[in-house]
Amino acid sequence: MLFFRSEERVREWCTSRGEPMRPLVNMDQLWTMSTTWYGTRLEAISARPKAEAIRGIFASIGLDDDFWDPLSDRYRSFRGTR
Amino acid sequence: MSAAVDDLDVAVKLAVFGTFAETGERPSVAAVAQRAGIDEPRVLPAYARLRAQRLLLLEPDGATIRMAPPFSGVPTQHRVESNGVSYFANCAWDALGIVAALGRDGMVHSRCEQSGEPLRLAVGKDGPEPSTWLFHCLVPAVDWWTDLVFT
Repeated sequence: MLFFRSEERVREWCTSRGEPMRPLVNMDQLWTMSTTWYGTRLEAISARPKAEAIRGIFASIGLDDDFWDPLSDRYRSFRGTR
Repeated sequence: MSAAVDDLDVAVKLAVFGTFAETGERPSVAAVAQRAGIDEPRVLPAYARLRAQRLLLLEPDGATIRMAPPFSGVPTQHRVESNGVSYFANCAWDALGIVAALGRDGMVHSRCEQSGEPLRLAVGKDGPEPSTWLFHCLVPAVDWWTDLVFT
C-alpha cells in the first residue's frame, strides 16, 4: 500500500515488477478509508470493520470492484512478487 | 467470551494504542501490564485475542508488537509528525490513519515508490490538503491479512 506521484508512476512501477495495475485511490478516498478504519482506534469501542461492512464502505466511495471485496473469490490467493 | 475477558482485552488494547499515541513507540509487555493494571502473564493471551480481531500483528516471538494498525512498531518509509511526536505507519493508508486516530493535525512524510520524490502532505482533522498524489494497493482485500507485512 504505497503512495505515487501520478498514474504514470504507478504504471511504470507495475510494469517494472510485472504486476497488474490495480484501481487507483485519490487522497480524498484514502482519507475516508482512514477515518472509517481508524477514527475510533484509541477508544474502547474500536473494532476493525467486519467483512460485510468493508464491501459497503469501499462501494460508498466508488471502489466497487471485487478487488476491494474481502469476501470475493475473484482475486483469492494472489501472491505478488517480493 | 466472558465479560471479564472482554474487559481485559479492552484494557490491553487501550494500553497498547494509548502508548503508541503518546510516544510513537511500541510498548513492552511489562509496560502494557502496568498501564492496564494487570499481571504480565495475562497480556500475551490478550494479544492473541486482539490478533484474532486483526488489531495487532506480533513478531515471531509472540510478544513484541510489529503492528498495531495504523501504528508501526518498527521504522518505515511512512512517517507522521503530530504535536511534537513522530510516528511510523505501516503503509500509505495507515499514514493518514494515524492522523485520523489521533484526531489532530499531522504532517505525513513519505515518497513516490517509483520515482522516490518526497511526499509532504499536511492532514488536518477534516482531511488532507488538496493533492494529486495517488494510493495504489497491489494486494486484493481478500488477501490483506495473509501476509500483512507484504501488503
